[in-house]
Order: sequence, then C-alpha cells, then structure tokens
Amino acid sequence: MTKLRHYNGNPQKNSPALGATLAFLGVNGLLALLHGSQGCSSFIRLQLSRHYKEPIPLNSTALLEESVIFGGWDHLKKGIAVAADKYKPQIIGVMSSGLTETYGDDMVSALASLRLERPDLEDLPVVLASTPDYIGSMQEGYQRTVEALLMTLAGKTNKTKSLGLADFNDAPSVALLPGCHLTPGDVDELKEIVKSFGYRVITVPDLSISLDGHAELEAAPVVQGGTLIEEFQRLPECKACFSFGLSMEKAGEFLKKTYQIPHFNIPSLTGLTATDTFILTLAKISGKTIPERLLRQRSRLLDTLADYHDQLGGQKIAIALEMDLLYSLGSCLVEVGSEISVALSASQGSGNTLSLPFPVEVGDLEILEERAADCDLIIANSNGRQAAGMLKVPHLRAGLPVFDRAGYPQKRWIGYEGTQQFLFDMLNSLS
Amino acid sequence: MFTNLTKLDLKDKECMSDAGSPKLCMKALPGEGAERSCAYDGARVVLMPITDVAHLVHGPIACAGNSWDNRGARSSGSQLYRRGLTTDIMENDVIYGGEIKLKKSILEIAARHNPKAIFVYATCVSSLIGDDVEKVCREAEAELTIPVIAVNCPGFLGDKNIGNRIAGEVLYDRVIGTAAGSDEKIPLSINLIGEYNIAGDLWGVLPDLKNLGITLQTAITGDAKFDDLRSAHRASLNVLICSKSLTNLVRKMEIRYGIPFMEGSFYGIHDTSETLIKIAKALGDPDLVERTLVYVQKKEDQTRKTIAGYKKLLENKQAILFTGGVKTWSMVSTLAELGINILAGGTQNSTPEDFQRMKELMDPSAQIIEDTSSAGFLKIIAEKKPDLIVAGGKTKYLAHKTRTPFLDINHGRKLPYAGYQGMITFAETLARTVLSPVWGHLKREFPPREGELDD
Repeated sequence: MTKLRHYNGNPQKNSPALGATLAFLGVNGLLALLHGSQGCSSFIRLQLSRHYKEPIPLNSTALLEESVIFGGWDHLKKGIAVAADKYKPQIIGVMSSGLTETYGDDMVSALASLRLERPDLEDLPVVLASTPDYIGSMQEGYQRTVEALLMTLAGKTNKTKSLGLADFNDAPSVALLPGCHLTPGDVDELKEIVKSFGYRVITVPDLSISLDGHAELEAAPVVQGGTLIEEFQRLPECKACFSFGLSMEKAGEFLKKTYQIPHFNIPSLTGLTATDTFILTLAKISGKTIPERLLRQRSRLLDTLADYHDQLGGQKIAIALEMDLLYSLGSCLVEVGSEISVALSASQGSGNTLSLPFPVEVGDLEILEERAADCDLIIANSNGRQAAGMLKVPHLRAGLPVFDRAGYPQKRWIGYEGTQQFLFDMLNSLS
Repeated sequence: MFTNLTKLDLKDKECMSDAGSPKLCMKALPGEGAERSCAYDGARVVLMPITDVAHLVHGPIACAGNSWDNRGARSSGSQLYRRGLTTDIMENDVIYGGEIKLKKSILEIAARHNPKAIFVYATCVSSLIGDDVEKVCREAEAELTIPVIAVNCPGFLGDKNIGNRIAGEVLYDRVIGTAAGSDEKIPLSINLIGEYNIAGDLWGVLPDLKNLGITLQTAITGDAKFDDLRSAHRASLNVLICSKSLTNLVRKMEIRYGIPFMEGSFYGIHDTSETLIKIAKALGDPDLVERTLVYVQKKEDQTRKTIAGYKKLLENKQAILFTGGVKTWSMVSTLAELGINILAGGTQNSTPEDFQRMKELMDPSAQIIEDTSSAGFLKIIAEKKPDLIVAGGKTKYLAHKTRTPFLDINHGRKLPYAGYQGMITFAETLARTVLSPVWGHLKREFPPREGELDD
C-alpha cells in the first residue's frame, strides 16, 4: 500500500468510539457513556442520528482542562454514578477516547473503586471498551466493543432475576454476531433465515430491534430493544455460533474457547456463493433440509443474473467502504462479472490475508475522487457525494453515514433476496 | 500555550443569579447527559463558513471524521470549506509526535487545493502530546505565500461558547485589518457578526439590505471570503446577530477600529424590522432612517398579509422551545407572531441577558427548562403535552418518539428562516408540520380496543 500524502482528505473513516456506540446501541436497557471531551459524544450523536433518524442515547464524562492535568479517573467514577442514578439503566457501556487513552486513564480500577464506595452499584453491569480514536475506524471500535460485551456479560448470572429457562429449552439456540457492515434490516433478515432452520437465535448486538426505526411506546433515554441481558446469560447454552464479517471472528472465537461452542465465521452474506456457503452450513449443522422459501429466492436470483448479465458484466466500479462491507459488496460484484477498478478501505481491517479477487488499499475519498473518473459507478457513503458530483459519476450510497437517501438502515442486501435487491439498486443507479 | 484563555474575558459579567436567572452555561456534569459540545466544535462553527480557505484539523479521526461537511452553512462560490481535511493522528504520531506530519500536510494542502489561507485546528490529543501547532504554522507560512493560522481550540477547554470566543480572537489577531490598500471606512456598510448563512439565511436578508442601500462588507462568518474578512475593519457598523460569545470580537473592533456595535435578530417580522431600523439609526444617515421606516412598514404589511392564512391555522397552539443562545428569545417573538403560546423554553448555551430577554417576552406562567438532557426533555414533554416542539436537530428523533410535531431550527435544517421572506417560509413549514395528517395516525391505537370498532 502506498502512502500518497500525509493528510486525510474527505475522510470516509468514522471514529472507533462511533463503532463502539453502535455496538452498545444493540443492547437493551443500556446507556452508553463516552469517556472524553463533550464534543466527542456530540459529534457521534449527530452522525448516528442523521444516518438512522433515531435518537442516540449517549452521555459523556465531559472532561475539562483540569482533568487533562490530573487525569479523568474521578470524572469517570462520577460519570458512571450520575448516569446510574439519573437514568437507571440496566447496563452502562463505557468507551474511551483519544484524550483519555493518551493520558492513560485506568478504567478498570476506576470502576472497582466506585463499587467499593457505592455498594449499591455492585450488581450494575458495566462494560468497559477501549477505543482510542487513533487506532482503526468504526469497524475496529465496534469489534472491540462486541468483544468487551461478551467478556463482561456472557454467562454471568444475575442474582436478582430468575432465568425462566424452561420455555427456552424447546428449541436449540444459536448465537449470531453480526458485524457493523450489516444494517438493522440485514440483521432482521439474517435472524429470519436462521430461524427457518428451526433455531432460536441470540443476536449480539441486535440492532434489528433497537435501531430499526420503530415508533416505540415509551420514549426513553436508554436503549430500547436490542439483546436482553438474560440472553447474554444464556449464550453458553448455544449449539453453535456464527460471526459475520472478518472483524467479528475474534468475538466468535472467544465464545468457542470459553464455552466450547462450534464457531463459524461467515465473511460475507452478499452474493450467490457467499449465501450458498452460509445456507449449506446451516443445513448441515441443523440436519434440516433447506426451506422451500429460500430455494425459491435462490431461483429468482439466478434468473435475475441471467436477465441482467450483460448490464452487470464489465461495469467499472469504484468502492470506498469499511473493510467488511467492501469485501461483501466487492466480491458479489466480481461474481456477477463487474470489474472493481478502485477499492479503498477506511482502515487496515483485521489484517487477515484474504483471497480477495481485487487489490484493496487504505484510502480516503479524495483519493477516490482522483481515481474514479473513468468508472461507471461509485459505491461509498453519503460523503462520497463531493467526488461523485465533481466527476459526474453515479453514486450508490452504502456504509455509514447515509443521510441523503431515505431508508438505508432498513435495506436488506444479504441472502438470496437481499443480493437480488443489491443488484437491482446497483443497476438502477447506473442509469 | 493556553494563555489565550485568560484574554477571553470570560468573567466579564456580574453574577446574574440575583436577577432570578437559572444557572446558565454552567459546566456539564459527567454522566448527566447535558453536553454542549466542545471548544473545537465552537471554533469550527464560527470559522468553517469562510469558504475559500482550507480547514485542517490536527487530531485523530474523531474530531474531523465525524463532523466534516455536516453543517448547513452555504456558499455562493468556493466549496473548498466543505472539504474534510485532517492529519488523522495515528498511534505512532501519539508516540513520536505529529509536528512533521502536520507541516507536510499543510504544504501538500496548499499545493493541491490552492486555498486563500489555511486554518489549522489544535485538538485534545495534539495538545496533550505537546505538538506546537503555532510554531509549525509559522514555519509552514514562511515557505508559502498564504497565511497559515493556528486555532488553539482543544475540546477540553470547555463547551461551544469558549470555542466561539477563541475563533473571534483568531479573526481579530490574524485576519481582520490585514488587507493591503485603504483602511478608509465604507459608508453605510456593515458586518453581520454570528450569521453563518445556515440554509442560506443570509441570502434572505441581503435583498432588504440592498434595497435600503446598505452594503454588507462580510458576515462573520457566513458565505465569507477571506479577502472580505481582511477588510472587515472598513465597515461602519458591527451587527451582532446570533452569538453572544463573539461579543469579545466586536468590543475589540470598536476599540481598535472605532466601529460601533449593536445587537439584532432577523428571526420574525418584529425583530427584523426593529433590527433594520436600529441599523439605519446607528449608521447615522437621516435619509436612510426615513427610507427604512417606510420600507419596513411596507414589508411588514406584505408579510403579515401573506402569513395571515397560516396564522389562522396555528393560532393558540401550544409550543415548547428547546433551543439555545439568542435563538431562544428571537424564536419567542417569531412564534408569538403566529399566535402560538409558549409553555416552556430552554436556555442551553444562552447568556443571562438572553434569558432575561426571553422572560420579558414570555407569558409569566411559562416555564424555563433547566435540565437540558434527554431525560429532562422527555419529562417536560410528558408534563406539558405540547402541540409542537421547536428545537435543534439533536432532539428531533427523540421528539418524534413522543409523537409530537417537531420543527428543526438549527444548523441541520434545509430552509432559510431569516428576514421577511424567511418568516413566510417558517410559517409555511410550521403549518405543514403541525397540521400533517401523520400525527393522527401515530396517535390512533391499533388494533382498536374492543367495542371501539363500531364507532
């Protein structure tokens, strides 16, 4: 990978703490607390709410100059206590920032010290995620936070609540760990597919019921919907675990090592072969035949491929996205005969050497602007609009943020039907 | 490095609590959920609408990556200001320092984008690792032909207001008065301070100024060109529009350049007229005053006639105002113009004067919202059950969960609300929101309770 210049021009990267917020937003009853300056949380709230069109419960420890001199340790303790007292969340999720990681606040000892001072908070689950702004992008922050959620909450029994396991035992359950490249709509579709093989699912985090944009009954300043705390407790009982996106592999491996659950990593769910791999794995481990509905959807996808093979073939595509989404959409397009002329990822990704059918570089949207002039289509988040406008190249919105097209968070681009939808959206953007 | 702060005369106000004000602009408590963004954001808000310069953020991705090109400040010319430029500080920079990277970035941006100037913003992390942004800017400037201006605004210095002030200092020290050529005052010319041209607000006011023969030197800053800002000291009058936190700038300009200043607002018919008349009087031209009095009367009549239909639809609706700064009191009079009652108003980022002004305009029974967190917001909505919420974009989607009509008046909006034309747009938009048929659907229970089916 060549380093073109020293600055990042029109960044496509989002901050790791934004990824952390996203992961926390998929956990029911949680209140996220960002350990940093007030602006850190304001920008994340604004960015996520213009993408999802949803309120984003995220508080801050509101660090000021004196904490830069004396450290933010006390601020963190105070922040957790105030958030717990004022908002009464079931869980508090804390993420660090560039500021606090640079001066090295020890979040673990702050929490331990708070629990000594406030015995009443001893049972309040607090998840600590380390997400310095200067390492990685949204994907890395999300990944670290899902890992922290599992390490802190999986299998822990809550003294005060009975589990009510009886009704849970009638069907085997599997754990699903969706990466941040999947929209709430995608996660919803994914759950339906897995359920159609006779499974119950535990999804961590579950954005499909928290950020899916529903008119909730009670407006509340904590996360509503998402993974229940009881579901974390039941994770060890799962018969299998699927992680989606390469970035989520480590989280799946954690469940495998800790609870001896078979783990399958599915790097992509978009495209015919990617979906085939997933469906065949599900059929194999469940011992069930593939549901008629899915076969029908596959058959429709095949027909679409035949009908549009000429328009799909040879299209020159420029993609700039976070690594997992770039891999998913890019490999699907190669599979149908398009050509990936430019592929820029927001960050290094998990570093896993992929057998990608096209070369990928880390790059910003200014590089996209310099290289995509001869392309037929740009696939990037809404911030790619400057490049697309200047080059007069059509622009299909994907990733985050998408703020100038309606309905992106509800889009389904996974599975057979979702792949078909993705190809339709792509074809319609070309004309 | 932080001595600038002491120069900001932050404590220039007597305690206002004796006058019955709530606690305003106090420090946000950790965990409370009433954050008011940071100094970097505040500086960015004021300086970003300078359209033909490059804005380089020396920080990790969290500062620029989550925020570039996200405000509705519009430009009639260059689009360079919308470009997100950051040194994107990485782990190695934290360890070894980011000064070399910063300098190379400045030189590369100057070559690639050909800006009129480069503003370089220091952030929490760059300040903490000890990068001397001012020194790097001086060095880079020596190699270039354009100004390279350091903005020392790490987020931990405080909230948005402090950032606004820092930006004002920077403009005063490094930009205003640096133009070559005449320093002579331009007759009947003004600067609009704190007008950011959100959604094209400025363009709604310009025709009126032009019709009256008043020249706009520059808005500080909205649709602003660097060279116009350099000559801002040639204006005959400063008009402070939105940001109290730029008071420091107009005071200093008064002392150094002898430019008097006044406050005004272009939200609502009454305030627009009053401000135009005040400007005319302050410019001291009897002809202009006479012209203006006739002009505003005509415009008022026209505007009131146009919005009469909307007023009929909106009269006696109950609203909650969840806004900050000058917008608080200027919105009170705008809503009053349409016959809307205000049940409660918020005071985020407002100064004691803003608050006093708002109190004078509101019904004595109206409540002041002190808890500006989401919890406080939901509580007041549940208590008051308003017909309408007027607030900034941050609370928009939370408001929708309460199934209450909501109007965004902050930087996320798409339509200009300033001036007479803006008042018409505002009334139109408000009526569309409040009277939208969707609220009925949202409030209808489904499936209906038994026994209600036949009704």
